[in-house]
Amino acid sequence: MSANDRSREIGEFTAAPDDDMIVCRCEEVTKGEIRRAIHDGMFNAHEVRRFLRCGMGLCQGQTCARLVKAIVARELGVSQGELEDATGRAPARPIEMRIFASERGRDE
Amino acid sequence: MTRYDLIVVGAGPSGLSAAAEAAANGLKVAVFDENARPGGQLFKQIHKFFGSKEHKAKLRGYDIGTELLKEAQEQGVEVYLNAVVAGLYADKEIVVRLGEKVAHFKGDTVIIATGASENMLTFEGWTLPGVMGAGAAQTMMNINRVKPGERVLMLGSGNVGLVVGFQLLQAGCELVALVDAAPRVGGYGVHAAKVARTGVPFYLSHTIVKAEGTDRVTGVTIGEVDSKWQVIPGSEKRFDVDTICIAVGLSSSTQLLKMAGCELAERAAGAGYLPVCSDVGETSISGLYAAGDVSGIEEASSAMLEGRIAGISAAGKLGFAAQEAVTARLATLTTALEALHEGMFAPKNRGKSVDKTEEGYDVSTNLLKKGYLADEEITKYPGVKSVSGIHPVIECTQNIPCNPCQDSCPKKCITVGGNIVTLPVFDEKAGCIGCGQCIAACSGQAIFLVNEDIGDGLAAVTIPSEFLPLPEKGERGAALDRAGNVIGTAEVTDVKSVKSFDHTNLVTFTVPKELGMRARFWRKGAAI
Repeated sequence: MSANDRSREIGEFTAAPDDDMIVCRCEEVTKGEIRRAIHDGMFNAHEVRRFLRCGMGLCQGQTCARLVKAIVARELGVSQGELEDATGRAPARPIEMRIFASERGRDE
Repeated sequence: MTRYDLIVVGAGPSGLSAAAEAAANGLKVAVFDENARPGGQLFKQIHKFFGSKEHKAKLRGYDIGTELLKEAQEQGVEVYLNAVVAGLYADKEIVVRLGEKVAHFKGDTVIIATGASENMLTFEGWTLPGVMGAGAAQTMMNINRVKPGERVLMLGSGNVGLVVGFQLLQAGCELVALVDAAPRVGGYGVHAAKVARTGVPFYLSHTIVKAEGTDRVTGVTIGEVDSKWQVIPGSEKRFDVDTICIAVGLSSSTQLLKMAGCELAERAAGAGYLPVCSDVGETSISGLYAAGDVSGIEEASSAMLEGRIAGISAAGKLGFAAQEAVTARLATLTTALEALHEGMFAPKNRGKSVDKTEEGYDVSTNLLKKGYLADEEITKYPGVKSVSGIHPVIECTQNIPCNPCQDSCPKKCITVGGNIVTLPVFDEKAGCIGCGQCIAACSGQAIFLVNEDIGDGLAAVTIPSEFLPLPEKGERGAALDRAGNVIGTAEVTDVKSVKSFDHTNLVTFTVPKELGMRARFWRKGAAI
């Protein structure tokens, strides 16, 4: 069964003592929120990121990407190698919108 | 849009090497780096590098960085700093933030050399100020000249943990413990030994349970782990610390490669997703290369070679270099890279436990479990012979790719041989003159000069010292053994600081005769 199989039965969410621990510092997402999201059907790092914004902050997942992946793997009962990384998207580093927006002038 | 023959992303060891190599072949090359200074991590590497002459062994990282930068500039490479590459798209177009503008560049070939970032570990209190990556502590010390803290615990016994641990000691911090969840020291034994002999305790099979503090770290609790990595109740130990350094590995910074659509795969369990590359570093996209840590975590010497391999390949691909010239150059570079891939720490041996050296010597389990060689096992190795008169004692007991000691000896006392991972052999018949060149040449600070009997019941020991301030001639202090235990009083009889020793000072002290083969560190203050 592939790690992405939506029919995978992972059981009910059960609270754990370290659920309040912050995992994504930039967006202040806790381990409990990530675990809950997995039980709500986010079965890979990419979906968890879209759902909770973990990995979308200042460091762009440099710190938490691996941590989130490990949590997803454990919760699904698969090895980390079976899970793909979250997609790489521009900007790879945070850039202010005003700087991006200044490009408009080029075509006008 | 500005076009270049080659665009390199990342001005670290592999990126600069790639750029210099390609530019030397006539390519118009630009390098982009998000930092204000080029060199990547090289300028904070204040220790001497391993390897052979071709790998710039025994040079310090920052000197290698200066050389590389000079080479790149001489070859006409354009280096854009504070240049944040935000995107890499099909057709090898990059989007870069330069100051207040976004600019577009196109490369006929592109080499991604973005390196890696430090892994983190979560435990109670891990977000407290004072918990930091070992690399961050190294940047604070060696780039910004700021002491990260006063009392530090280091988690991780790989080379990063060991090297940064030693540098914390050099900066004047107290290292209360070196901790690793693994049952064996992960890095080079020589790096572990130079930390252990200063008195730092090693806790293998231990991990961090929690960090204490309200607005900053004030303490840490560690505990022993069982075979399932669970903390054994009752095994907890607590330390007052203000800093916790985490050195639990690196992850390749592959974001741009993912964005470009390169094929990525997990090469080994737990290694993370890495770009699938040809043997010259070309990814699944033609003309797009990955070099250095981004293509798999190694160290700076192999990153530089991988950069050059990608650089000459790009030159060949665009027709700047003739195929025969490319093939010949690749052969040289590949041979040098293969030499670094030998020995017990080679990528192919990762995760395996190596119990015998290639020559058949037992690998010291003391070294792997406690960080130091036991007194009674030291003479088993070919670099150590207990003979009369002054002689080197080469405490190099693992197959690591390194051979500067061999060339350093004017009397040819030391032989490593053709394979650079071979243990150095000391030839007592060659006639050591006690010049000390070998001590300064050993990047692992593993060579000592000993005269086991200088009369009056004393032995003389010369050690490498990279701690300031240096002791004064005539100063009495404590002699420490390999485990860092005080074993007696030592009187300094000579301090040699020579330019050619490149900041490795030679400190000679005398100790009671029976301690000559045991005393390996000198500490200021009384022997208590």
